[in-house]
Amino acid sequence: MAFEEMGKPSRRMRLVMAITCVLFVAALAISPLKDLRREWKGYRQGYVRFAESRADTKRLLSDFRPGIDQIWIPEMNVVDRCITCHVGITQSSLADASVPQPFRAHPPIPHPIQEWGCTVCHRGQGPATEVAESHETTLAWEQPLLPNRFIQASCGNCHRGDLAETPKLDRGRALLAKFNCVGCHRIQDIDRPAMLGPDLTNVGNKLSREWIYKWLKEPRTVLDKDGNVVVDGYETEDEPRMPQFRLSEQELRALSAYLSTQKAKPLENDAINPRVVAAWEKKPDLTAQGELRFRQMFCSTCHSLAVTRAGETKLIGGNIGPELTKIGSKVKREWLVSWLRNPQAYLPNSRMPRYGWSDEDLYKVTQYVTATLTDSDLLSDVPQLGAPAEDEAQLGRRLFAEKGCGSCHAIEGMSAQKDFGPDLSSLGSKNVSQLEFGESTIPRNLISYVQAKITNPSSVNPAARMPQYHLNETDLDAITTALLSMGGTPSSSGMQKLILPRAQPTFHPAGAFGVVYERYKCHVCHKFNGYGGDLAPDLSYEGSRAQRKWLIDFLKNPQTLRPTLVLRMPQFNMTDQEAAIVADYFGMVLQSPAVDLTARDQTQFTPQQAALGKQLYEVKYQCQSCHTIGSSGGYVGPNLNNVGNWLTPAWIEAWLRNPQALVPGTIEPRRAFSDDEVKALTAFLITLRHGGEGRTTAENAAARGNQ
Amino acid sequence: MRAWRIFLGAGLFLALVSIPACRKKAAPVAKDPLRSAYDVEPDWNDPQRLISLDYQQAQGKRIFYQDCVWCHANATPAGPSNRSNLNPQPSLMNDGAALNGESDEFLQNIITLGGSAVGKSAMMPPYGRTLTQDEIRAIIAYTRSIAMPLYQPPARPGPPYSGKGANESRK
Repeated sequence: MAFEEMGKPSRRMRLVMAITCVLFVAALAISPLKDLRREWKGYRQGYVRFAESRADTKRLLSDFRPGIDQIWIPEMNVVDRCITCHVGITQSSLADASVPQPFRAHPPIPHPIQEWGCTVCHRGQGPATEVAESHETTLAWEQPLLPNRFIQASCGNCHRGDLAETPKLDRGRALLAKFNCVGCHRIQDIDRPAMLGPDLTNVGNKLSREWIYKWLKEPRTVLDKDGNVVVDGYETEDEPRMPQFRLSEQELRALSAYLSTQKAKPLENDAINPRVVAAWEKKPDLTAQGELRFRQMFCSTCHSLAVTRAGETKLIGGNIGPELTKIGSKVKREWLVSWLRNPQAYLPNSRMPRYGWSDEDLYKVTQYVTATLTDSDLLSDVPQLGAPAEDEAQLGRRLFAEKGCGSCHAIEGMSAQKDFGPDLSSLGSKNVSQLEFGESTIPRNLISYVQAKITNPSSVNPAARMPQYHLNETDLDAITTALLSMGGTPSSSGMQKLILPRAQPTFHPAGAFGVVYERYKCHVCHKFNGYGGDLAPDLSYEGSRAQRKWLIDFLKNPQTLRPTLVLRMPQFNMTDQEAAIVADYFGMVLQSPAVDLTARDQTQFTPQQAALGKQLYEVKYQCQSCHTIGSSGGYVGPNLNNVGNWLTPAWIEAWLRNPQALVPGTIEPRRAFSDDEVKALTAFLITLRHGGEGRTTAENAAARGNQ
Repeated sequence: MRAWRIFLGAGLFLALVSIPACRKKAAPVAKDPLRSAYDVEPDWNDPQRLISLDYQQAQGKRIFYQDCVWCHANATPAGPSNRSNLNPQPSLMNDGAALNGESDEFLQNIITLGGSAVGKSAMMPPYGRTLTQDEIRAIIAYTRSIAMPLYQPPARPGPPYSGKGANESRK
């Protein structure tokens, strides 16, 4: 090359330069070109076209501007650009299902969208502006949109207590408590109760080795071949309590040997008076009498029995205690007598009330239970196990600890196992990368993982120690919702401030009433100031509601007040003194501030007022649509035939003015009665009384037995 | 000639580079609307058919099963219904033949003020002091969702929307 030509680009170089420049310019142009075609722009333009096709175009477009739209709430870490595409989300006229997505309005919810954003409830990636990025799991973002059927989990993130609006979440939390998940796992807002599964310290006195073997192999509640939950062969709505463990033959033998030798405390010697036995032993109707007594005492309020009606066998009765259809083939007779006399001697934390039994009743009922509620085939498939060998019992003891039985069951000399399984208190905020899917082929997301773990623990991890539960789809979704709601520590201080803690009321009265209350376990069915069960009426204000004499009569001999009720207050055989203690305590303590008992006495009413009240009741307000007087009227509210003896006039007045102030959530609607109308209706209602003493105690007992 | 080839190559390269910009997202698998629904309710006449409910309708369902079911259904959580006890017999809540013709405003009024205020039976009590207006609207939304025959909302003004540009990439 000549010297003067050095440094001078050749023709070829110039061409290369030119092409490279063109390429650069073109490459730089790609980005703005791509920007023109952004996904969200298409949706924004689509919204404008949509709005123009409607009559209310002007209103729909009044706030519209072309760029990206977002809800920004710094204190909650919310930057939600969802409204960029979901443009019509707050337009009430776009609520209809015919409006195409993403433009449809959000259904009305208690939290305004502008104040809360979207991702607080729906999850997903708020700042994203692409459909897939914002809705799904991507490499950069692990929390996908929460499917709507689990969305109540988000309510539970802040609302740690139950809400009427979130039935699925409440159900899930109740199931977590009921299944004793807290035995092995740490769970947000659920504390370990005093007793999870029964205390097994003394189980050798109650059960045979064969029965234990059978139970461990196949607990009471199993899934049948059609996928229905069955209890002892009967289909049921009840949930299983003892789950199924995957145990080998050797393990079954060892555990049954170990448990059947647990006889730490001998049974209390409280056999039935031999004279009572001698008098009843030979009577042909002994078991029939026992069955009658069993029904009269309303054992069925807590326990169910299989009943065949029209060729269909169903469990009828409550589910507070265990189902009893085959109980006679389960427990030993001496144990049953001792248990019925004093359940807490065997299980100190049992919820079973301590009834006041006469020897006669006790004999009749135990005879009925052991002779009739049996199944001779129950143990037919259990091998002959014989007396437990020492080495078997030793192995059983080791297995008991290894399998985590001690998480739910206490045994003397064995310390309780806590936190045997993983901590679940922040499961809902776990990222996919924190989950171990093992060999399973389920979709890689948190919900699939949780559901697979619950439906079949060994599907994700073949060595899982978690036992097998059997849940229907509804309950599975409810439990998943409750687990997803456990978000652990909130992501920002703003969110932290929003948390409404779960109220955990207790009611453990002291003194004479406390003794009666604990003996009859009132709180298992009734609520007192927020504490207790919800099977029976809330008694927080019972002292304002019921007249003392009625209360004592009812405690001595409970009757139903509501015609449609199947489950009733059991007959405890309370003594007069106990009934008086309860009535006195109610009268002194369980009072509503809305009811002034001293201000009103029933003598203030005139017959004219009562006559007006009757007319209002029958014609103007037609109360008979829900209440029964005489033998006619509705089934919704309580029967009012004896209301004059039952309710205090002050309660009736306060109730008519505002029922929900006395019993929150009661279904009697609050009306706009005038003062005169309230007085007239009260005057009329307190005239409604059973003649004289009403039916005698014996008649009542007979009526109850026939139901 | 060679220059032309190079230009052609550059053009091709450009076209290739810009392809991603035009790439259409693969359509996600269509979701089962019932599995993604907030709540579902079986059709009263045909329990096999499930109706999906949104938040408002689900709240209506909850309030219905608390307050209304006793007289407006043939079966209740407690077993027997009070409906057969009443004269005139209350409408079933899903009775589209009876309720579809009534406007939302009328239903709002009869629930708020009671039957006697709108010239119907006094057996229907007023709920205006027990339930909020939102709760009553939720009950109406629930009623509409389970109506059989199906409820058609009153026609809205304006031509029907063609759907172009809205649902094209996500269906």
